[in-house]
Amino acid sequence: MICLHHVCKRFAQGDEAIEALKDVSLEIAQGECVVLRGASGSGKSTLLSLIAGLAQPSSGEIRVLDREISKLPEHLSALFRRAHIGFIFQKFHLIPGLNVEENVIAPLIPANLPLHVLHEKARIKMEALHIDSKAKRDVKRLSGGEQQRVAIARALINDPVLILADEPTANLDAKLSAELIEHLYMLKQSGVTLLIATHDPLFFDLDFVDRIVELKNGRIV
Amino acid sequence: MLANINVLLLDYALGSLKRQGGKSIFIFLVLCLLIFLLASVLMIADAIKFELNTTLKTLPQITLQRFVAGRQTNVSVERVDTILALNGVERAIPRVWGYYYFKPAGVNFSIVGIDAYEEPYKKRLSELTRTFDLSTLEKEGGMIVGEGVQNVLRENYYSDFFNFITPKGERYPLKIAGVFHSDIALESNDLMLVPKQAAYTIFGMPPEEATDIVVHVSNPVEIPTIVQKITERYPDLRAITQDDLRISYQNIFDYKSGFFLSLFIVCVFAFFIVIYDKASGLSSEERREIGILKALGWRMSDIVHAKFYESFVMALSAFLTGFCAALFFVYVLQAPLLRSVFIGYSELKPPFRLPFSVDVKMIVLLFFLSVPVYIAATLIPSWKAASLDADEVMR
Repeated sequence: MICLHHVCKRFAQGDEAIEALKDVSLEIAQGECVVLRGASGSGKSTLLSLIAGLAQPSSGEIRVLDREISKLPEHLSALFRRAHIGFIFQKFHLIPGLNVEENVIAPLIPANLPLHVLHEKARIKMEALHIDSKAKRDVKRLSGGEQQRVAIARALINDPVLILADEPTANLDAKLSAELIEHLYMLKQSGVTLLIATHDPLFFDLDFVDRIVELKNGRIV
Repeated sequence: MLANINVLLLDYALGSLKRQGGKSIFIFLVLCLLIFLLASVLMIADAIKFELNTTLKTLPQITLQRFVAGRQTNVSVERVDTILALNGVERAIPRVWGYYYFKPAGVNFSIVGIDAYEEPYKKRLSELTRTFDLSTLEKEGGMIVGEGVQNVLRENYYSDFFNFITPKGERYPLKIAGVFHSDIALESNDLMLVPKQAAYTIFGMPPEEATDIVVHVSNPVEIPTIVQKITERYPDLRAITQDDLRISYQNIFDYKSGFFLSLFIVCVFAFFIVIYDKASGLSSEERREIGILKALGWRMSDIVHAKFYESFVMALSAFLTGFCAALFFVYVLQAPLLRSVFIGYSELKPPFRLPFSVDVKMIVLLFFLSVPVYIAATLIPSWKAASLDADEVMR
């Protein structure tokens, strides 16, 4: 499903070059749930960005679903993301000013699908996450938990086979975190591959987590 | 082409304008105002150019003025026969004209004495007047006035006639027989066409003199030769040709255009400041939104498309609003404040109407000066942000 081979990522910060990832090699099978553990700045988010094709590695190779995403041109990696990957962000990253339904369908807007198809897809996801009654509400007026559910619905709107979650519980209280874990569990049950970058201990003892990979200073330890 | 438009993307772009709320309204208003000012300036200049060109067509081919000690003075009517005897001269007409100060309104009227029995005048006058009663003028009891004069007289309770006061202090009433057509309003607005005899009386001039002589020639190519012959015969006469007048009017127009040019430059400058501000970067919210959209699977081209729709709708609606507002301001409201820069070269502030004259080239110029420039200024920073790695944009 995911195969990273000797991946390095360097950033330029002023005159300095910062190596965020150093010779990372990793394989994740389809349907697996992997937790990426590590302190802030250990390279977790960078790794997720590379796997999603949001950034290019400085060296090495990344294959996702047998496609070498690190070599795909920008427009193809975007299409690949739209077709196969769902992203759950640390700060939800909902688009302010749009209502719940508009946020949920946002990934599919460029696909130019018929409106009724989009509404139907959004309705199914919102119902599953119990936010259908708030479909027309501005996301700014939602609670943190509701916003998190909108973010999950948005990540699922394209029925992805891979979910990348970046610190998904960082802004949630214990109750909402438990709720989120429940959703992730259901996704795992449905065969979706999960890669969760977190330093929240809640994830380390979960039954449905298959593997914990520890990152330290950009290296897998 | 319409089938290629992604309606959802368009809807998203319109929603984006709405989401930006106050900022969108501010940019829209600034763009509207600038386009309105630019369009108004160009429209007024165009309308006045049209008005001047119409006026120039009515000017005489040669006007002869007599100068003594560097000052214009009356010319003897006897010279007309000598001029008429020159080969190529078709007509030579002595004119009587001058200014009449109307104290109650504090304005000068331009009075021109005409001989209504002369065929060319009759023909020209019937073209120039809207409600011209030739028979009244022929009886030498009437006059034809510009619309401005008519309005000033009406304000002072002279609706049918006007009492001139001669230099001897006597009253000299003349009936208002007609009003000038608005096509030549700029030139004729302060004008009173009176029978020649009446003009002599109003100015207290001896009948053997004229203010100047206008000459018409059969072949316009011969104008310089005839001018040379006349000035050799009468060195105290100065000949002003239609071309000289055209240049003179053009100079007045160009001089006053300078004011408009200044305003035009200020508008363009302000417009480019707005454009520079747009082109110099996006707000952190806009950059973040682009990053989110990329992470969600939007291609760079999708983002640029959405921004294109957004800026196109903004620029086109501002262009249309500003342009329509300028049409209304110039042609319906008659450009209050702005047009006074151009008119008023006689002391009567003539309330003439700007003739409707919109040049397609001007609309195209205005469109290409505003809409594509604004779109480019919006697209460039969006394209730059969209071409960065999404995680970099969101950080």
